[in-house]
Amino acid sequence: MSADARIAAAERALAEHGLSGAKVEVEGHEREIAALRVPEAEWARMMGPDGVRLADVVKAAGFRYVALDLAGPAGN
Amino acid sequence: MVDERKREQLRGVLRECGSVVIGYSGGVDSVFLATVAVQVLGPSNVLAVTGKSDSVASWMEDTAREVAESFGIPWLEVETREMEDPRYAANPSNRCYFCKSELWSRLSEVARERGLRTVLDGSNADDVGDHRPGAVAATENAVRSPLLEAGLTKAEIRAWSQELGLPTWDQPAAPCLASRLPYGIAVTPGRLKQVERAELALRGLGFRDFRVRHHGDIARLEVHPSEIARVAEHRAAILAAVRDAGFRRVLVDLQGYRRGALNEGLLSAQLVQLGSAA
Repeated sequence: MSADARIAAAERALAEHGLSGAKVEVEGHEREIAALRVPEAEWARMMGPDGVRLADVVKAAGFRYVALDLAGPAGN
Repeated sequence: MVDERKREQLRGVLRECGSVVIGYSGGVDSVFLATVAVQVLGPSNVLAVTGKSDSVASWMEDTAREVAESFGIPWLEVETREMEDPRYAANPSNRCYFCKSELWSRLSEVARERGLRTVLDGSNADDVGDHRPGAVAATENAVRSPLLEAGLTKAEIRAWSQELGLPTWDQPAAPCLASRLPYGIAVTPGRLKQVERAELALRGLGFRDFRVRHHGDIARLEVHPSEIARVAEHRAAILAAVRDAGFRRVLVDLQGYRRGALNEGLLSAQLVQLGSAA
């Protein structure tokens, strides 16, 4: 599966699991990391069981690690 | 509670060893082993040796020194040169083998020079089954593992350490800094320093059990599930500190810290497990 296809699959899966507006980018020397940007309102709940559940959803799209960008949606 | 038979078994293994050099990192296991060894064999028959290199965090070195001083453990620091070995620096999945080969050969030299009979490490019963290529180097250098031989688990070592009043009893596991670099990313002093700076900053914010994984210009933070909620609270400070350590982008792993996360990409054929190492 190409990186682009994984991104689309991951974003679709996140939306299906109740997280809309999330953006997925690919990072890592083996392109193994899904870097998520989520709306600020969703940020805090990602640091808990919801985050673990959503990580599983994204991993199923073909990533080894799923991580949230501390800079937030704007990347500041 | 620690089973009395295991306690006696550990003492028995140490008596059998006679006089010992202990690979002493300042972590829970080696501090405990050195303390019990001094109790059983007496200080003149024990030397705890810390390998000093860029891959050892300075706070670990400080802990090693301070505990040795406080608990009367004869202590020595020797420089190790694993960074000069290109096979180590290339960071293959068996990187630990090259590091431990250097460490155990240096400690074997020390033991010979000082007339101490046996070199020991702090492997314990819970390490069996982990990816431990360094165990091969231990076997090659005739290093014994008394905690493992006595069947002591990490929980038992922590409990016994607490009884002994050791400050390390509840210290989180702290493997070398190179373990923060995914296999295939070269180990350099600069990268290790970045990890150390970032981790020091997180420790300063009160985090105890976490890793800063170095993915080139990306830092991926793994924080223990019990502490991960605090990331939101300290988000801005973490971001600033980790960027200041030289990372362009700072990510927090949603699954949190788990032991051996960087081994998740390895094939089973690449895994070398303690207990199966020959």
